[in-house]
Amino acid sequence: MHNRASLILGVAIMICSGWAVYAASGWPWKAALFPMVIGIPVFCMAAAEVAWVLLGKNPAARAMDFQISSDLPGGLVIRRTLLAAAWMLGFFAVIVLVGFPVAVPLFVFLYLRLQGREGWLFSAIFSAIVWALFYAIFKWLLNLPFPAGWLF
Amino acid sequence: MIEAFFEGLLLVLQWKAFAFMLLGILLGFWVGLLPGLGGTTTLALMLPFIYAMQPIEGFAFLLGMHAVVATTGDITSVLFGVPGEGTTAATILDGHAMAKQGEAGRALGAVLASSLVGAIVGAVALALAVPVVRPLVLSFGSPELFMIAIVGLAFIASLSAEGARGMLRGFLAGGLGLLVATVGQDPQAGVARFTFDSLYLWGGLDLVPVLVGIFAIPEIIDLAVRGTSIAGELPAGRLSKGAFEGVKDTFRHFWLTIRCSLIGTFIGIMPGIGGAVSQWLAYGHAAQSARTPEERKRFGQGDVRGVLGPGAANNSKEGGALIPTVAFGVPGSSSMAILLGGFFLMGLVPGPDMLTKHLTVTFSMVWTIVLANVITVAACFLFLNHLARLTSVRGQLLIPVILVLIFVGSYTSNSHYGDILVMFVFGAVGYLMVIGGWPRAPFVLGLVLGKIAENYLYISVARYEAAWLTRPIVLVLLALAVGVVLYPLIQSRRARSRKAQHA
Repeated sequence: MHNRASLILGVAIMICSGWAVYAASGWPWKAALFPMVIGIPVFCMAAAEVAWVLLGKNPAARAMDFQISSDLPGGLVIRRTLLAAAWMLGFFAVIVLVGFPVAVPLFVFLYLRLQGREGWLFSAIFSAIVWALFYAIFKWLLNLPFPAGWLF
Repeated sequence: MIEAFFEGLLLVLQWKAFAFMLLGILLGFWVGLLPGLGGTTTLALMLPFIYAMQPIEGFAFLLGMHAVVATTGDITSVLFGVPGEGTTAATILDGHAMAKQGEAGRALGAVLASSLVGAIVGAVALALAVPVVRPLVLSFGSPELFMIAIVGLAFIASLSAEGARGMLRGFLAGGLGLLVATVGQDPQAGVARFTFDSLYLWGGLDLVPVLVGIFAIPEIIDLAVRGTSIAGELPAGRLSKGAFEGVKDTFRHFWLTIRCSLIGTFIGIMPGIGGAVSQWLAYGHAAQSARTPEERKRFGQGDVRGVLGPGAANNSKEGGALIPTVAFGVPGSSSMAILLGGFFLMGLVPGPDMLTKHLTVTFSMVWTIVLANVITVAACFLFLNHLARLTSVRGQLLIPVILVLIFVGSYTSNSHYGDILVMFVFGAVGYLMVIGGWPRAPFVLGLVLGKIAENYLYISVARYEAAWLTRPIVLVLLALAVGVVLYPLIQSRRARSRKAQHA
């Protein structure tokens, strides 16, 4: 998992930086200077990282960052990760379709009912509170513009 | 001068100015807590309201609001792993890790106490440094400012992961951040770079959706995968305890807090570098303060020093940023540029007059920063237990609320669905980085520094060609960057040879 993620990142960065350098070669020097100066070393470093992964050498490289929980079975982790990603993408789809003011309570309610397995009444009250706070802060107090969705 | 100093305090304590300051604090408090909604945007939104105010009242309102945003932004970062503000992202690394270990109270105590120390250091610097700082600012041209950006990146990239491979990944992440910063219309030739013919990308990538994606998405996925509360299965009684321990930590590592406050002040003074940079430099410095590689391994896992450094720096930068704004009319950041607009709205011209004729107004700003932070920190301590208990709320209840906040927070950057897509893309990048053991801090610093560094590099090359590399301060900063890169390697080699000697 650790090495696969590194390999995906390394290859993706190689492709992006290689393309960035190629694209920059056609621009005037003023616009190309920085992407070139950064893109070339980034490409080389990404290639070194990919080579490191492919050669199978894996010296300690723990990041000064949070570590994902590793005490659960791999299959369960993947299933829950995909489910969380699906909820987020679903929320985005609902926002696009019906707009924020409707999507917010709808998403909270569905999440609590289907994912959280909460009761009808609790889910409805909790969703109403979140919607009221959303409306009071972002719509009423800050007057932020939220466009209507594609459907209504 | 002493008279003006105390007169400034008395002016802020007048009921009307004090009431406006409290109103500003209340607004800043909530703006800081809500992810995505930036202090700079709110400052711009509130600017029209100061028309009818006297200068002291106007600054008490605006500065009172702006001075506390970073303080309360740290709370969101610690509790939920979501950056409350762009300037409080570094607090997540160790602060949220502490919250997950049931030490939310201690982390909050530490971040609030260090924020207060930082704010006071920044305000004192503002009071003392105005006559001294002029030669310093004037001696830093574009080449030197570009080198500061490089030193900052070298600092965080070399310290944010373990060993040679970790350093490679740190620099790679930093380089990727710099490259991502080039998206959008370039400022010199007007070429649309990496925009895929999308008008949305012409203005470049906004920091907020990128930060929210790279930090919040992996945390939310982890919370969903674990299926527990943020603090896991720890007993609820432990969570709120330790706030006083956090305050004691601030004084236990007092010199580190002061040094990080000074880093924040220095970065605040430098025009154009900005507050988002100072927190990472302070974090890098806090990590560097670890005496052994083993001690450094604790950073990112919940070391309180990783909370104290950024907490202090992101507050002290306000006082620092005010120095060039007040003294020369040169705003150090976008929020200071808006505040500069406030000066003109109230009929004041920044410059020497602010140090002579309007010295009391200048000192009233110093007092506003101090008082606003004292009041906010005191108010936060009153609610600390309740805040810390949020980490024991079931994940299934927290996740939809956090998702609503991060979606709305990202969307409000440009009021465009593209903001949410950017959040998704960088959420995926952040998740892969966490899974792969890559540090996220250098990426964010690269992204923040990208535009500034490009601008300064272009001016340096256009103005001096290759000769900019031979300027004395540039050479000193270059040596510092090399030293910063070599230091962890030398340190780990020494530790290895010491271990071998003992064995």
